[in-house]
Amino acid sequence: METKTISEGDKLTISVSGRVDTVTAPELEANLKFGDAKLVVIDLKEVPYMSSAGLRLLLTSHKAMAAKGGRFEIVNVQSAVREVLEITGFSDILNIV
Amino acid sequence: MTFATSKFRAFLPAATFAMAAEFLMGLSDSVICGHVLGETGLSAVNLMQGVFEIVTFVGMMVTVGSCVHFSTELGALHLRRARGFFTLGFFASIAFGIAFAAALAVLRHPVLSAFGASREVTELASSYWVWFLPAAALEPLAFFLGTLAYADGDARLSLASYCVQLVGNCLVSVPLTICFGAAGCAVGTGIGSFLAIVVLLLHFRRRGCMLGFSRHFSVFSDLMLVFRTSLGDASKNVGKAALIFALNAYVIAHFGSEMLPVLAVVVMTIGISEVFDGVANAAQPLASVYIGERNSFLTKRVMRAALRMALGEGAAAMLVLLAYPNLILMMAGVSDPAVVPAALFAVRIASIALPGLALVLLFNSYYVFIGRETLATLLTLAAVLVVPAALFPAMGSAWGARGVWAALGLAPLVSLAVFAVYEMVRWGFRIFPFLLQGGRDAALRVFDLELDPASICLASAGVEKHLLQKGIDAARASKAALLVEEALMVVRDRNGGRRTLAEVTVDLNDGLTIVLRDDGEIFDITDADASISSLRSYLVSNLMTALPNRRNLTTTGFNRNVFKL
Repeated sequence: METKTISEGDKLTISVSGRVDTVTAPELEANLKFGDAKLVVIDLKEVPYMSSAGLRLLLTSHKAMAAKGGRFEIVNVQSAVREVLEITGFSDILNIV
Repeated sequence: MTFATSKFRAFLPAATFAMAAEFLMGLSDSVICGHVLGETGLSAVNLMQGVFEIVTFVGMMVTVGSCVHFSTELGALHLRRARGFFTLGFFASIAFGIAFAAALAVLRHPVLSAFGASREVTELASSYWVWFLPAAALEPLAFFLGTLAYADGDARLSLASYCVQLVGNCLVSVPLTICFGAAGCAVGTGIGSFLAIVVLLLHFRRRGCMLGFSRHFSVFSDLMLVFRTSLGDASKNVGKAALIFALNAYVIAHFGSEMLPVLAVVVMTIGISEVFDGVANAAQPLASVYIGERNSFLTKRVMRAALRMALGEGAAAMLVLLAYPNLILMMAGVSDPAVVPAALFAVRIASIALPGLALVLLFNSYYVFIGRETLATLLTLAAVLVVPAALFPAMGSAWGARGVWAALGLAPLVSLAVFAVYEMVRWGFRIFPFLLQGGRDAALRVFDLELDPASICLASAGVEKHLLQKGIDAARASKAALLVEEALMVVRDRNGGRRTLAEVTVDLNDGLTIVLRDDGEIFDITDADASISSLRSYLVSNLMTALPNRRNLTTTGFNRNVFKL
């Protein structure tokens, strides 16, 4: 699992690639540093698989950004990951673009 | 160590001890009578060995088939049908026990007079026979309940029942034999069987007990099915009974009643092979479930482990008896200087049979598991009756009594060699000796793991990769991977720090089926209404709702969850 971060003003884009599972989620968590960004975009184009460990990170990040008045968006969600988000009802909570 | 081999090894001590206890039970009356009543008492009980074998045969005719079909139906997730076989076996073992005891009552005089043994020996055997009838009636039910409780994963209780039966028998038999002779010994045997039944009834109070009564059986056709399945395994007892009757008659006719104590120690030596049946019994619960799932890959895995163990046990027993043959003489209470040298030689030469018998017994049971009952019957009858019965008169004529004992030592090896050649010629070397075509193996993949996050994620990724390679669409492959990771992580969390082994089977033979097995705490992970304590358990619960085709069935004491995606 790898991450690539691009900062453009108040916008922070984090591109994730690889599986996000119980083992790799802590590594992703360590890379989710948002600083003063007002908009955080997580690009999941290269994530074919995500388990509950990844979902927990998405949810906590969403709540953290909401708490400081920012916005957390998820983009380019692959169908398999989208299905997990739908099964859990997270698709109604998170901002999936 | 894999889940399958771990479960096999977990079953092995109890199964082996149970068979050792059963062997000692069979032996206990000979030992008690030998020590309390002397060589005459030993010879008298040895005349009864054939009857003991037939009692075991009656119990096995009901038990083996019921047990195999119970496990196989459980493997196929047909609980009510499995319980139908339990119900049928339960009532049949009671009915056949009573009927057999009644038949024994009628047969006492004709059978004992046919041996032509000395009057003293015959009188002792006759009094034992009369008081043995209650034990003959109870033993099939005790054997049935012990075997089914064991197959249902309650190895400890099964073992406890054998211990209670053995210890109870000995504690009661010794004083009764001192007071009442051979008749008292037989009464003790009956009391031991009764105590075992009482202990085994406790299994029904166990959490996760799958035994129960159900009307899902047909008295006639299912009984025939049970008999057909049992015959292969049970035939060894009929074969042994016939051989023992023939040996008793031959030895008395050619060498006189004074050679009966030597025959008794030979029968004891060969009787040790009963203990090796524990290997097949340890493999049976798991192998039957895999056979029920039509998973030849895992069936062979269990049987390979069993094969190694059977050979090891047989060889170890042979080496011990070659080095210390007097152990058998001490057990039998044989100390007459006129008999001891011949008995020592007899034990040594007969012990050569043990590794071969270990293999015969294993393959006998295995061929029954896979539905080749005729082959099982033929192999067993060849090894325990036909080949020895053909060899011992010929070798007895050439070398006297020593030739007879040598024939018994060689017979299993000769039989195995003949059958190995026959099977290779008939079915080909490729599938020898397990005789499974393995046509479904190409679409099976098994992942073995000890539950920790790294190995669980590795298995999950392996499942996904395997499915993608097999042309399954990414969404289903991902869902399968998710199921494996989340379900196994829940199992891991549930078991805390306890070492838990699991097995993931991906079966693409009939659609996509995932089977998850673990040896952790028994619980139903497929329950969509289970309490939710974490995001993970919430996801699993929702996954279960999204997977309507799912089953959970506790099987021989471990969790088994089957999902069709």
